[in-house]
Amino acid sequence: MCRLHDVKLTGPLERVLRVFLADPSARHYGYDLMKAARLPSGTLYPMLARLHDQGLVTSEWEPPPDDAAGRPPRKYYQLTSDGLRVVRLELARASGGAPRAAHAPARPVPGSAP
Amino acid sequence: MTGPARTPRTQRLAEGLIRRACRRLPGEAGDERYREWAAELPAILSDPDIGSGLRRSARALGYATGVFRCARRLGRLGGRPRPQASLPARPGFPVRRVVVGVASYAAVVAIFLALAAARPGRPVLLPVLPAAAAFVAFCLIDLARAGRVRYLPKWGWVIVCLIQIPLGGIMYLAAGKVPPARTEPPAQP
Repeated sequence: MCRLHDVKLTGPLERVLRVFLADPSARHYGYDLMKAARLPSGTLYPMLARLHDQGLVTSEWEPPPDDAAGRPPRKYYQLTSDGLRVVRLELARASGGAPRAAHAPARPVPGSAP
Repeated sequence: MTGPARTPRTQRLAEGLIRRACRRLPGEAGDERYREWAAELPAILSDPDIGSGLRRSARALGYATGVFRCARRLGRLGGRPRPQASLPARPGFPVRRVVVGVASYAAVVAIFLALAAARPGRPVLLPVLPAAAAFVAFCLIDLARAGRVRYLPKWGWVIVCLIQIPLGGIMYLAAGKVPPARTEPPAQP
């Protein structure tokens, strides 16, 4: 089972997730996300690394461009299907009327982690 | 608008910063992160949403400095102890603390000089005398209660504190005072 464990749904994280959710099939590179979520690089990349470690986001290198414009290949991030499910759930909980346990984030029981 | 010469120079500078940041990460991860982050620079430097070339350059450099913070956090996320962290703290002369202490003292002196210059004839230093006396008393009491001190014998620090009234005490507190032993739990593997 995959969820946003050990991560509080902070404002910056929520903004990033909303950018991903705006078009779940879209691939984003880092600067794209920085601009869309209005985050500095020092905040965004550790967040992406955590999401990646939890299997919510995949990353892939773009193939080297053929037009020889000299631009180096970029790394693109995209929600996984698991990620899409979890993110929808979390964001719905965050914005829904249900009192979200902001001070007691859902943590997995030790030993039950996948 | 950006001149043709500035963009490559800014990019080189930002790439250098990113390269240095990536040295904190272990070899292969560092290489990959460098390629990822350096590949963002052309996008920033040609961002049509940022008006002037100067602001694009500033953005690129800000990006590169943010990457420093990022590499530090990623290093922690990886769970690797940093090489310095595992070494016991070497009891070297605390140059930085002494410099900070003396510099803050110099700043206070400068403020008083400015006050004295602004209000000639008024006793600016008079209210400071009790504070100076209290500071010396504090240092002497601290010395008396300290188990041991560094670099000088106790009587040496007493003389230093008394001869040079604020600076001697600052030197003692910054350098001579043995910091309280921190009880650190043994590092978990």
